[in-house]
Amino acid sequence: MSMTDTRRGVIQAAAVLASAVAWPAWMPRLAFAPAQTAPRGDTLVVVFLRGAADALNLVVPHGEAAYYNRRPTLAIPRPDDRRASAAARAVDLDGFFGLHPALRPLLPVWEAGHLAPIHACGAPDESRSHFRAMELMERGVEDERGPASGWIGRHLATLNTSNPSPLRAVGLGQLPQRSLSGAVPVSALRSIVDFHLGGDARAVNQMQAALASLYAGGEPLNRLGQETLGILETLQALDPLGYVPAGGARYPESEFGLGLRQIAMLIKAEVGLEAAAIDAGGWDTHFAQGGSEGLMAALLTDLGQGLAAFHADLFAHMNRLTIVTLSEFGRRVPENASLGTDHGHGSLMLLLGGHVAGGRVHGQWPGLAAEQLVGPGDLAVTTDYRDVLAEVCLRRLNNSALGEIFPGFTPTLRGFLTA
Amino acid sequence: MPSRLSRREFLRLAGLVGTSAAAAACAPIYARLGGPAEPAVGEAPGLPPADWLALSRLTYGPRMAERARMAAIGVEAWVDEQLAPTLIDDGPAAWRLRRFETLGLPAQDLADQGDRLFDNLDTRSVPAELRQATLIRQVYSRRQLYEVIVEFWSDHFHISVDKGDCWFLKTVDDREVIRAHALGSFHDLLWASAHSPAMLVYLDNQANTAGAPNENYARELLELHTLGLAGGYTQTDVMELARALTGWTVKQRFWRGQFAFEAARHDPAAKAVLGLRLEPAGQREAERVLERLAVHPATAHHLAFKLCRRLLADEPPAEIVARAAATYLATSGDIRSVLRVILLDGLAVVPGLPMAKFKRPVNFVVSALRQLNAETDAGSALHDYLQRMGQAYFAWPTPDGYPDQAAPWAGNLMPRWQFALALARNEIDGTRIDLPAGALPPTELAGELALLLLGRRFSLAERDALLSSLNAAGAAEAELPAILAAGLLASPAFQWH
Repeated sequence: MSMTDTRRGVIQAAAVLASAVAWPAWMPRLAFAPAQTAPRGDTLVVVFLRGAADALNLVVPHGEAAYYNRRPTLAIPRPDDRRASAAARAVDLDGFFGLHPALRPLLPVWEAGHLAPIHACGAPDESRSHFRAMELMERGVEDERGPASGWIGRHLATLNTSNPSPLRAVGLGQLPQRSLSGAVPVSALRSIVDFHLGGDARAVNQMQAALASLYAGGEPLNRLGQETLGILETLQALDPLGYVPAGGARYPESEFGLGLRQIAMLIKAEVGLEAAAIDAGGWDTHFAQGGSEGLMAALLTDLGQGLAAFHADLFAHMNRLTIVTLSEFGRRVPENASLGTDHGHGSLMLLLGGHVAGGRVHGQWPGLAAEQLVGPGDLAVTTDYRDVLAEVCLRRLNNSALGEIFPGFTPTLRGFLTA
Repeated sequence: MPSRLSRREFLRLAGLVGTSAAAAACAPIYARLGGPAEPAVGEAPGLPPADWLALSRLTYGPRMAERARMAAIGVEAWVDEQLAPTLIDDGPAAWRLRRFETLGLPAQDLADQGDRLFDNLDTRSVPAELRQATLIRQVYSRRQLYEVIVEFWSDHFHISVDKGDCWFLKTVDDREVIRAHALGSFHDLLWASAHSPAMLVYLDNQANTAGAPNENYARELLELHTLGLAGGYTQTDVMELARALTGWTVKQRFWRGQFAFEAARHDPAAKAVLGLRLEPAGQREAERVLERLAVHPATAHHLAFKLCRRLLADEPPAEIVARAAATYLATSGDIRSVLRVILLDGLAVVPGLPMAKFKRPVNFVVSALRQLNAETDAGSALHDYLQRMGQAYFAWPTPDGYPDQAAPWAGNLMPRWQFALALARNEIDGTRIDLPAGALPPTELAGELALLLLGRRFSLAERDALLSSLNAAGAAEAELPAILAAGLLASPAFQWH
């Protein structure tokens, strides 16, 4: 097709113009070339729960008396609590921890050995600021002095997988996530259905020719434009409206569900996707958080149904897929006066995939007694989130350049996944 | 009725050169930032690059009248004129706003409008009217710098209309907090925001009560609104300030949507915030903290940095930030004085700075409309595009406001390209442009459009590459004006200002 010729022309033009171009300061640059060549590993899907999800009501420590003492109205009833309706009780996992009842759709994933929650994990940062904590976590750095790029971006930049796809990494949502920024251009993809220029074919053809000419060149924005044209070309071959999920999977009709559905479609279409980032928002539950029902339960329903559908839809691909959830920190153990919870510290991660050490809750549980809490009454962090991510990079993504992905951090491998 | 963008106007635009060259001599401020002029085809008409940069940064895209004004009086006089917005006749924008009756209503009346309807219509239509009015002001107001600064404070004191009663309280906040104090004293702005029902609802302070305080507003007041994250406060300061703010709430029944201090919900014990000991004094306790915060050096630095980042560069030079912060402290937070330093004096000390700013979606859309002299109702079709680009008004999900650096926006080009094509082909409901069809030969047309949209001539290579690729794609001469305009709007150069 003629677009291919145009793209080749674009690259030649880029080589001519590159020397004359000043790179804007905003574009993160990496000082190193890909350190290693390896076949690509799993497709990585990173779900960020924005706003600091309440880890204690996500995977409930129902074996802790202190949990119930400190959360008189918000606690999720024990799995055997006869005073509560069965639908309101925690779904027991191991006699001590249980899923929030809204996460019941994840039970088959747990039973398949494809779900590994890691409790009391998080970052060393104790600012309790959403913005600082999210930024540091997406950059994968200890404090602001680290590189400006994101950890997924550095993973992709340090591993040459001989994958020329313009869709090597996508951010689902209106803006691409900070974690993806780096040497590989990344485009935001809100909806495959909307990813076209629109209008009549003649005008679209002319517009694409104009864009190919105007975006010739080596500046970062020009490269993003060339990538966008490449994605356009790739997606034109897909049929998003005719997509039928496998395994009877039913995605929720939410932004999150729609996003996961698109990722699944890209994976099955084999367009070269190596990493996708997607957000689920609304977790900053200072006010009226609710317990088994209410605000947070609604968010968990969306999360649980979405991940369960993704798992069912991609069950045949689980050997080549790792999904990880993150949140910037957890929430305070005692509830506040507004039936909500304030900013805390220790958080929770979920690992899903065919090679996670599933069927058990990982992490050293620090306890909820007064002397076991940190700061103003928060769950302690016993596993650095980078230990989990580093193990994903090493064991599932074939990338051993951990010093560049998480600079200044020496990860401990704890067996959350198998190679 | 669309105004016609005629050949005569193109040429009048070219005629600005003579006067602007003279004006450039007394406008050194942006002169150091524009860099050398692009290699041009033939004569190089239009504003000098520095004046063009200033104008495209301090407006939502220069209209011809603004180019003429800048050329006539120079940057410094232009900035001073814009810093006194009440002296600028704004009849055309006011005329377009006259049917937006919710803009002027008090909170109780807005709430009553919602109560009168059974289908929640007004929880949508009140914010929709605010969004439409905001876009109308950005497109049509002659008080352009004021609107630019209003948008800055709308991000700084961000409130999402999607939370609780903010659907109607934000309209009051926009009028009585942001617009009332945008170019006044930061103390007054902060004071108004802290007493603003919209803010108290948005950050949960209406639920902050004695016994178990809610820290949300207290934390963001320190982190986002005043001192900044590196401003030297502690978790204890956050918790003590939250206690001082207990009882600051919003009336729910009579006088719904009014600020109220409820002494019964206020923590009566003494507190200490930032070393300031607060003896029990009810509402006055937190107000003493506001007074301290408004003149705190960390606040001065934080605001100076953010304003410099918005108006100058993603990574503004420390010297300019320091000068702006010093002016802030010397004037007890006079916003106009700080802006004057940033826009005029400050820039002169650091020559050769890379000053590119990536247009956020609102800037992109509004500059396209203004520079093509579009006639628009600023209605829902445009807001749909803004949402796809990531910047629907008053909808950012977190209290830090829309990002101000290029990186988060640059990866989302597709909806900008969609908008460019739809606008140029007149396919957007409620919006019309009028391109000069067939008036000029293709090379001249491309040149004039570049001058109109990019403020400069094309280089010969750019122009010929574009025209030959369009030629290869089979574009007929009659199709050229629209496709050239669409291409230029979508081009890398038009994404920066």
